[in-house]
Amino acid sequence: MLERVGGPKARHFFQKEKISLGVFLIPAIVIVLVFSLFPAFYSFFLSFFSWNGFSPTKEFVGLKNYRTALNDPELKNSIIVTLIYSLLVTFISIFLGMMIALALNEDLKGKKLLRLFYFIPVVTPSVASGITWKYLFDPYNGVINSLLKYLNITGPQWLNSTSWALFSVSIVGIWKRIGFCMVIYLAAIQDIPNSYLEAAQVDGATGWHMLRYIKFPLLMPSTFFLIITGLIDAFQVFDLVYTMTNGGPIGATDVLGFLLYRHAFKYFNLGYASIVSLTIFIVLFILSAIQWRYTQGGAKNVG
Amino acid sequence: MKKFLLFLLVLVMSVSIFAKTQVVFWHYWDGENGRKLDSLVKDFNSVHPDIEVKAVFIPGSDLMTKIQTSVLSGQTPDMAISDIISVPLVIDTGKVIDLMPFVKRDKYDLSDFYESTLVYGKVGGKLFTIPVSSSNLALFWNKDLFKKAGLDPERPPRTWDELVQYGKTIKEKTGKFGYELYLDGGEGTTWQWQIFLWQAGGEFLDPNKGYRTATFNSKAAVKALQFWVDLTNTYKISPIASWGLFSRGEAAMVMDGSWMTQFFPAQVDFELGSAIFPYPSDGKPATNMGGEQIFIFDTSKEREEACWQFIQWFTSTKVQVDWDKATGFIPVKQSVAKDPSYNAYIKNTNRLLLPFIEAQQYAHARPPIKEYSQVSDIVARAIISAVYKRGTPQEVLNDAAKQVNALLGKE
Amino acid sequence: MSVKRRSPIRKFLLYVFLIIGAFICIMPFLWLITTSLKPSTDIFSEPLLIPTHFYFKNYIEAWNSVPFGKYILNSVLMSVGIVFCQTLFSAMAGYAFARVKFRFRNALFMLFLITMMIPDAVKIIPNFLIVKNLGWYDTYTALIVPRAVSVFAIFLFRQFFLSIPASIEEAAKIEGCGLFRTFFQIILPISKPVIVTNILFSFLFAWNDFLWPLIVTDSEHMRTIQVGLAYFQGRYGIKWELLSAATIFSILPSLAVFLVAQNYFIEGISTSGLKE
Repeated sequence: MLERVGGPKARHFFQKEKISLGVFLIPAIVIVLVFSLFPAFYSFFLSFFSWNGFSPTKEFVGLKNYRTALNDPELKNSIIVTLIYSLLVTFISIFLGMMIALALNEDLKGKKLLRLFYFIPVVTPSVASGITWKYLFDPYNGVINSLLKYLNITGPQWLNSTSWALFSVSIVGIWKRIGFCMVIYLAAIQDIPNSYLEAAQVDGATGWHMLRYIKFPLLMPSTFFLIITGLIDAFQVFDLVYTMTNGGPIGATDVLGFLLYRHAFKYFNLGYASIVSLTIFIVLFILSAIQWRYTQGGAKNVG
Repeated sequence: MKKFLLFLLVLVMSVSIFAKTQVVFWHYWDGENGRKLDSLVKDFNSVHPDIEVKAVFIPGSDLMTKIQTSVLSGQTPDMAISDIISVPLVIDTGKVIDLMPFVKRDKYDLSDFYESTLVYGKVGGKLFTIPVSSSNLALFWNKDLFKKAGLDPERPPRTWDELVQYGKTIKEKTGKFGYELYLDGGEGTTWQWQIFLWQAGGEFLDPNKGYRTATFNSKAAVKALQFWVDLTNTYKISPIASWGLFSRGEAAMVMDGSWMTQFFPAQVDFELGSAIFPYPSDGKPATNMGGEQIFIFDTSKEREEACWQFIQWFTSTKVQVDWDKATGFIPVKQSVAKDPSYNAYIKNTNRLLLPFIEAQQYAHARPPIKEYSQVSDIVARAIISAVYKRGTPQEVLNDAAKQVNALLGKE
Repeated sequence: MSVKRRSPIRKFLLYVFLIIGAFICIMPFLWLITTSLKPSTDIFSEPLLIPTHFYFKNYIEAWNSVPFGKYILNSVLMSVGIVFCQTLFSAMAGYAFARVKFRFRNALFMLFLITMMIPDAVKIIPNFLIVKNLGWYDTYTALIVPRAVSVFAIFLFRQFFLSIPASIEEAAKIEGCGLFRTFFQIILPISKPVIVTNILFSFLFAWNDFLWPLIVTDSEHMRTIQVGLAYFQGRYGIKWELLSAATIFSILPSLAVFLVAQNYFIEGISTSGLKE
């Protein structure tokens, strides 16, 4: 009963309507070109200069910034820290977001209120979130260690420990993102036609089967979206780190977004900031290309 | 015709009488300080009917960004302040004027300023900024904890050795930490450690070569960093934790700023003491300065002159006494620090501030270079690495020196 | 949705987990509320999650201290403009990418995706220069036009449109509908969930944006709420109780939009009369 959704046939529609197509695409192309692509090239152009944004002159330095970058221990550290952070946050928040969306889609009393609560971290300003979580994680007075003490476990130093800091910050990152994933999935779940699920039930499918063979695959486009946007988001995150750890201790939470912020807005190394930005871009591009290949552009669906 | 000309004449005259020179002044002083500034500006405007200064508040964290974009767009304000650390970048815009001609013309007395406050504005014989406010660091201690540990609450430690002794006693007798270090990284860590460095006789960057070479890995520096390592790891009287233990009564002593004489009393529930920070017996007292400097943008002769009038007035001893009384800023001029009414006022309203005022004469200036923020972060990371035992003080400082020299080498 | 038989124990356990999770989610928000209700004398007592004071005066004082009304109005105007443009233009582009075969389609889409991977921090200065040179400085145009299209949104719409059964468009084609008619009269009405989702996120993005409005506006009457909040913070030192109250003001609209959006999550294809 399940037919192939959105298959090749669908893509041949409207081939001949060039003008309409133009109208559909031109606004997007113009805005993206002018306000995204052009600045990107400008930034790339700046990577060959040394400029602090204040001086009226830009000093041409050729490949110096690139050479510095290749030898920069902070940059290398940042890449690794960011990879760990982004993989943890992206995938765990997707998993939890999907579970919660499915749960809050059922017939539960108070689900609307619960959805609101799960969404609140998304809109809570980082300063408030950072301060509260920092307090929770406090090794001496914090709630988490106090609870652990109750269970006779000595809690780690969390944000002050070089081994635990990144994990702690990731927890806050996941906490902040779950609501976003939940909303995306909730919207997508609405469009799983009832008929599919009813038919499957008639065929004797259990809850688990429905999850695995109907819901999960049909949610694939959303999952793909969430993975890509999750990675992109994680690679730019900086305000949580700024509030909670300042990149420390000793760079344990020095994500690329924070490194970029430091070079662009604190040290005013605009040329070098372009290189950090280029690094972010390259890593994201590689990760996305892998994702794209794996899911055929997120258009893959199970027949 | 005559009547018309007369009318025109009167019109022109009245317009020129009311033609004030309007200047825009960007600042980031907030709360009480902001209100005091507004009232001072009002006073100035009423005393100078031909000038109108318009003070515009910009949030501190955004001031440099706004200055940057205003320079890029060619629409700068007429004058502004900035934190002393940011001054080299402001000067680099090439859009602030040299104040020396004004200084010479009006015989403005620069010698009254504390020498270290002038370091930032002086570039090659020119003067681009003038100090208008300052703050510095000294010792605070918890008198209640001292009493509990059997220590004389009125007698603070005066040397590094005494600091350690007191710390140990506090730990033994009360279980609380003896002294809190700022270990959250960044400039907060660096500028505290610089005091220990200077007390031990070291220098941060070499002042002789235009501050382009690192000297923070000298013997004196290693001594200063080793002291931090000892406080945390050997004597264990300093915790490795986030800032805030002193105000929660968990640590008996701390190095903090003059502005805290206003905030601590509201925040803490114990009695406070303040004193010049202890220095090694074979060293000398030192402190670090914060503060703001004022500068004039290149606009028009008329407006620059008006700004200079304001600066002269604002930095006059009389006004500075009033300003420092209201804000709790540390005097930048010696005549203010010696002013009897100022001293009497502080004695009556804020005794905790007295040691800070005294400490100002021992203040060093942080290197006035554009790359200071980055250098500071590199050194902070090294300091914390040593405290976390990721290397010996000499190792981590050498490493940082290598990075900093590479960064500063190409100018 | 399908009805499942759930054992009461499973349901109870589910509730427990969901409620614990929800509580963890709202903790900082509770802290904000609690702090905003404290009189200034008690600010430095232990951070709490349950209000012990109910000093509502803070809200009135915060509201009156700076022109919050104007700030909110500016944010609303800017956000509505951005949401409208982003939703319309991104939906159109998303549909073109999903359903129309044209040369370089995949390459163009990849190019768009690539622009998402370029951090915003480095685009700020060049965009500022562009806006300045176009004479848009300190205007609503500068606040809206550069953000009139969101590649995230295009991406979101594309994914959604890909999962619509082809039968719908085939039926439209048979009836002689062209691109325009199919899109506006048939596809959009059944896309409410994704449209509403996009409105929600576009709104959040616009409402919470700080750096760009800070840079392209100057006068106080153009200030948006986030910039206003930063100025408020500065002006009032660190008066946590007022700052929390002001922060709550800035969060409430986002929550309101979410609550409204929630209602649309019930509808969808299931009500579009799709026949199998």
